Amino acid sequence: MSAVLEVSNLRKSFGGITAVNGVSFDVHEGEILGIIGPNGSGKSTLFNCVLGQLTPNDGEVRIDGKPTTGMRPCDLNRLGVSRTFQLLQVFPQLSVRDNLILAGQEHQGTMFSRLFGASDAGMGDAASQMIDFFRLSHLAHEQAGSLSYGQQKLLDAAMAFMAGPRLVLLDEPAGGVNLTMLANLRERLQAYHAERKATFVVIEHQMEFVMALCTRVLVLAEGRVIAEGLPQDIRKNPIVIEAYLGH
Amino acid sequence: MNRFGALTLAIVLLAALVLPNFLKGYGIYLMSMWAVLSIAAMGLNLTLGYAGQVSLAQGAFVGIGAYTAALMMKAGVPYPLCFVSSGLVCFTIGWLLGYPALRVQHHYLAFVTLAFTTLVYLIFRNEEWLTGGTYGLSGIDRPSFFGLSTNGALGFFYFSFGIMVLLTAAAWWMLHSPWGRAFVALRENPVRALSLGLDTRRYTLMAFAIGSSIGGLAGAVFAPLVQYIEPLSFALDLSLNLLLMVIVGGSGFFFGPFVGALIAVLLPEWLRFIQGYYLICYAILVMAMMAFCPTGILGLVQRGVRLVAARRKAQQPTLLPERTSS
Amino acid sequence: MATFIQLLVSGLATGAIYALIAVGFTLLWQTSQTINFAQGEFVMVPAFFILEAMYLGAPFWLAALIGIALSVLLLGLTFKLIIVDPMLKHGVLPLVISTIALSLFMKEMVKNLYSSQAQPFPALVAPYDFHILGAVISSQSLAVLAVAISAVVLLHLLLHKTRLGRAMQATAQNPTLARILGISVRRMVLYTFMINAVLCAIASILISPIYLAKFVNGETLGIAAFLAAIIGGFNQVRGAIVGGFLIGILDNLSAAYISSTYRAASPLLILIVIIMFRPQGLLGRVEERTV
Repeated sequence: MSAVLEVSNLRKSFGGITAVNGVSFDVHEGEILGIIGPNGSGKSTLFNCVLGQLTPNDGEVRIDGKPTTGMRPCDLNRLGVSRTFQLLQVFPQLSVRDNLILAGQEHQGTMFSRLFGASDAGMGDAASQMIDFFRLSHLAHEQAGSLSYGQQKLLDAAMAFMAGPRLVLLDEPAGGVNLTMLANLRERLQAYHAERKATFVVIEHQMEFVMALCTRVLVLAEGRVIAEGLPQDIRKNPIVIEAYLGH
Repeated sequence: MNRFGALTLAIVLLAALVLPNFLKGYGIYLMSMWAVLSIAAMGLNLTLGYAGQVSLAQGAFVGIGAYTAALMMKAGVPYPLCFVSSGLVCFTIGWLLGYPALRVQHHYLAFVTLAFTTLVYLIFRNEEWLTGGTYGLSGIDRPSFFGLSTNGALGFFYFSFGIMVLLTAAAWWMLHSPWGRAFVALRENPVRALSLGLDTRRYTLMAFAIGSSIGGLAGAVFAPLVQYIEPLSFALDLSLNLLLMVIVGGSGFFFGPFVGALIAVLLPEWLRFIQGYYLICYAILVMAMMAFCPTGILGLVQRGVRLVAARRKAQQPTLLPERTSS
Repeated sequence: MATFIQLLVSGLATGAIYALIAVGFTLLWQTSQTINFAQGEFVMVPAFFILEAMYLGAPFWLAALIGIALSVLLLGLTFKLIIVDPMLKHGVLPLVISTIALSLFMKEMVKNLYSSQAQPFPALVAPYDFHILGAVISSQSLAVLAVAISAVVLLHLLLHKTRLGRAMQATAQNPTLARILGISVRRMVLYTFMINAVLCAIASILISPIYLAKFVNGETLGIAAFLAAIIGGFNQVRGAIVGGFLIGILDNLSAAYISSTYRAASPLLILIVIIMFRPQGLLGRVEERTV
């Protein structure tokens, strides 16, 4: 199995602070990799470097063997990489359905063919399917801004999946979500993963969520990888416990 | 568009068609001017209201379109070709101008377009061999189609109004295609849009180029309207005026530019008694608007409509508690 | 050669004035994300304050002080409190539009309340021509250079050698942290606006003898300031200074050697080149791309 995502010696500094200090890891197809670590360990910076939001000072990122370091987020998305955001990022003025159509439309044809094509760029059916999959059918025509926090989280995930990505990076998907919705979200993510055999990388703080969802866990502290392995092993790892308790 | 909006639109269209028959020459001329300015403002609305970029060159593009059309008409080229050329020339120049400026942030386009407007004015003023310099181009004929002349005030109004309706329909169509959705995304949340594969740079550039070309098309109608064009008409003041029109009408609202253009045409007439001070009033109005209602007149209307709708909803009796599905 | 030196010196003189305007503009942007499109008019107006004071009988030196004081009051304090503060909560774009409207407002006010005719403005020093290396250099150019450079040096000393200045810099770089350290961010930002007003007033006094006091001055001066700020590097005060001098020299040289009717073109072309190949400006840092 080839590595979908390869990160080699990634380093990112802001002025005098090195947020990511030589991080390397691989993610293989079909894995759900969890990245955990105390606050300030560099998880979000790492994500932003992989996703083109920030340009790393050193190191390399490869997607399916292709170097993508510093590529613009929209080009990465065309390669099949998609993400969710820690702070909600939906389009509040558009309807739920339009949000999803937007999420998929940029992958249909070229910019010009889209101008002259159907108003929904052929994504209408796919959007409806996604709405049903995430059980948001009763909200399809509501403005996204009027949804509850948990519902917007589901929409955010749905949008990330619309283009059928190979690799999805989820940035704290469980943050601020109540328990019922959390179970719902985890169950939908697992269902999607099983159906489409996608690869996930998840940053998360909530341990139970990570343990239940992920197939492998990476632990970051102060910009470095301090442990890696199966969820149940990581949980018992003394170095990890020290890193969390020491802060 | 809901039924109320469609009804308003129908009434306005009807009024616009019927009204000029009751006005004198100058009144009809003002209505034609309104049509021309609406077109130019609509183009700027695309750049500013949909793509979120400040362009201070819309007046310059109107000028480029006007001179292009005027020179071609004087050379005997049939009008439709002149019209299309104005649009194409401005689209190309807009693309070339926007390409470097939009690769960075910080509203660089505003400064680049500001400098561009000055440059264009200089070219209009200095290149006498082409543009007639400060003397301008006079004796621009009004076109005729299939034997029908647009020479009279009324005839020209219907012509300019027709072009306005045509371009508005084209803009409506574009904004209801996937491009329209992309523009809204660009405006609302460019970071998210980028992560979904939307090439924000390309769309912004496209919006600016199309907006500028629409400005050029407005110029192509402006030239035969006034029949005499000179560099001063297209200096920075026009660009500023168009910008204020879009803002006052409501930036990002489809019909905002028409409202803004109407005010821009009528205000000097209403405030004629205070003569030069009307621009001062206009400027104060805009500043106050930015402080209290940056979404412009149509923004105010939208707020009012929502307030009424919310109040009506609150007054409706509910037998059961609202179902919360979270 | 002599002509070249003359052009260089007068270019440095005008460049110094542009530098003052550009520095003020950059300071406003740095500390409060304010893009002041009325900056050119901020330089145009003080001259009229001074002219009016002189008309009412004040000698030039007193009128100049009154002009500077009025500028600080109106273009610094009032501008910030009445226009910028209410606007900032709506975002950058409404503020930009407001300053555009403000520039229109100021232009029309001067045109209607004072005059649409160009007004002569007293020079700083008595005219005298120095002959250096065969070139003729006017006392006015030297005076302008002296005043402008002093202003920049004083500003530098203020920003880097005083506690207040360091507090202002802290505010510009990290307002949240500055607040935690007990610095009154609001007051620091207010000071920046006042400094900008002073710089614009000084620039006004320096440039009006050359250009005459006209209500349209704002356009050219504004453009020069924006271009200087961008070319130098949008968020760098030093860059603004370099940019200002560059534009001043280029302006003069191109007017003489290329074409006087197209003198405004050279800054624009430089701007395009800079934006294409070095968008952070000559001295700017590369900013993190967020979109």
